[in-house]
Amino acid sequence: MTHESMTRGRITPGLMTRRSLWIALLLVWSLAPMLWQLLSSFTTADALVNDQLSFWSRWTLNNYRDLLSTDPPFWRYLLNSSLVASLTTLLTLMLAIPAAYGLAKLPQRLKGILRTAVVGAALFPYVLLFLALLELARTFALGNNLIAIAIPYSALSMPLALLLLTAAFEALPNDLEDAAKLEGLSLWQRLRWVLLPLIAPASASTAILVFLFAWNEYPVALTWLSRSDLLTLPVAMARIAGSSTYSVPYGTYAAATVLGAIPLLVLVLVFQRQIVSGLTNGAIKG
Amino acid sequence: MTMLLAAPALLLIAVVFGWPMLRYAWLSFHADSVLTGLEPVANGGANWLRLAADQRFWLDAGQTARFALISVSLELLLALAIALLLHQRWRGRGAVRALTLLPWALPTTMMALGWRWIFNTPYGPIEVLARSLGLGSLDLLSTPSITWLVTVFADVWKTTPFITLILLAGLQSIPEDLYSAFRLEGGTPLQALRRVTLPLLLPYILLSLLFRLAQAFGVFDLVQVLTGGGPAGSTESIALYAYLNGMRFLDFGYSATVMLAGFLLLTAMILAGTLLLKSVGLLRPLDR
Repeated sequence: MTHESMTRGRITPGLMTRRSLWIALLLVWSLAPMLWQLLSSFTTADALVNDQLSFWSRWTLNNYRDLLSTDPPFWRYLLNSSLVASLTTLLTLMLAIPAAYGLAKLPQRLKGILRTAVVGAALFPYVLLFLALLELARTFALGNNLIAIAIPYSALSMPLALLLLTAAFEALPNDLEDAAKLEGLSLWQRLRWVLLPLIAPASASTAILVFLFAWNEYPVALTWLSRSDLLTLPVAMARIAGSSTYSVPYGTYAAATVLGAIPLLVLVLVFQRQIVSGLTNGAIKG
Repeated sequence: MTMLLAAPALLLIAVVFGWPMLRYAWLSFHADSVLTGLEPVANGGANWLRLAADQRFWLDAGQTARFALISVSLELLLALAIALLLHQRWRGRGAVRALTLLPWALPTTMMALGWRWIFNTPYGPIEVLARSLGLGSLDLLSTPSITWLVTVFADVWKTTPFITLILLAGLQSIPEDLYSAFRLEGGTPLQALRRVTLPLLLPYILLSLLFRLAQAFGVFDLVQVLTGGGPAGSTESIALYAYLNGMRFLDFGYSATVMLAGFLLLTAMILAGTLLLKSVGLLRPLDR
């Protein structure tokens, strides 16, 4: 809008092709590495290291077959990650929604202090926490447990969730809740029937961002999970990479990348709007 | 009553973010390794003295800061260009926005694995391309002076979409009238960018800068999978060094010291940066 309006009336065919060129370049930059993985995943091991092979003898489905016939099969990691990410999202929202409501009602000063602390936590490079979290996992026997790992994950995504949801509650007019109070609705009823539907968009944004975080989290999963049938996708990926640099089966790698990317591809394309509004609201109001 | 609603969430944050820092502070004055039978034994300031003289730590700190500053600067420039492009109105913009978001949404370890194949010597596509251009072997993942640039590249690829989104939000908050007024006064598009867009975008730029610098300073997933910190330690970050101390050398006392020191360095860097920006007057628009 901005720069278009600056040049309105002067949009020439030349300008349009130049823009198309930039858009094409942007798409190549964003997608080329993934497309290369896709291509590699269908290429035979021989063809990956020998570009003299004829075009027709290069292609195979073996990489996918190998990936699904390992022990545990690859889909197991997808399942683990889905479980952990769903649990984390659920737990985070269950704790963050009432908390954000409470924070939004606090007196200005106290709210300011707490918000600074929460923003600080949101900025914190959480990888530095792994050692103490690992100790906690050992003390309370929470290691190798896909349900327990949702606890640190919820805590780690809580700052962002609180910032987004508190902003959403603050944006609601007070009259609404006052009216519901006059009608004799209890706090729980007000939350459930009046406020929750109104903050649904913010909750959806928060949910998808938390889900993505939990799906992609690496250092905590790396230290909390060691049983090979319990690994989440990022750790499984790194473990494949952990085999020697020279004997690494790159075709299988690529197939793993493709299978691992498909759920996210769907997620991002379907929930693009929620992701964008979540991140941008976090930027504006946080 | 309302405070009670917030208590569980705040408690969880306090435990998971606050407790580790207290624990590290305590551990950093203890020896806790295989030598002590993995039991903490008070050792005065020995860990801190060791840290002060630990060349590997200071090398890693420098490398981490270099990685963070360079990759975040590049990301910011690139994101600004992309945000300006995505802010214009054209057909298919929504779909392109979603597609450019993908790199950010993928697990870092997954793409790190992908990059290892793409930058592989001698079979990766970059290497093959370089060979066919007659450039010879690039050895991108085994040349200390180059490999860290590959990690920068991978980070830029992955996190630029995040900054782009923040900047897009900023662009959308600038009222259209400002541009019309500026045009009426005879300003060119380039002048509008410098005198209208950038100043109003500043809060968003600073916000993404702050957030990304802190995250990039904690870089771990990427280097652990892509390079393992090598070649010859040239891409090792503070977080990776702390991880190796804890998980490989089983020296928890020193690992805690390294992490606490990393956190303090980051805080000092952010404070210094804030003071610097303040002294040149860049933060004034934020005091509203």
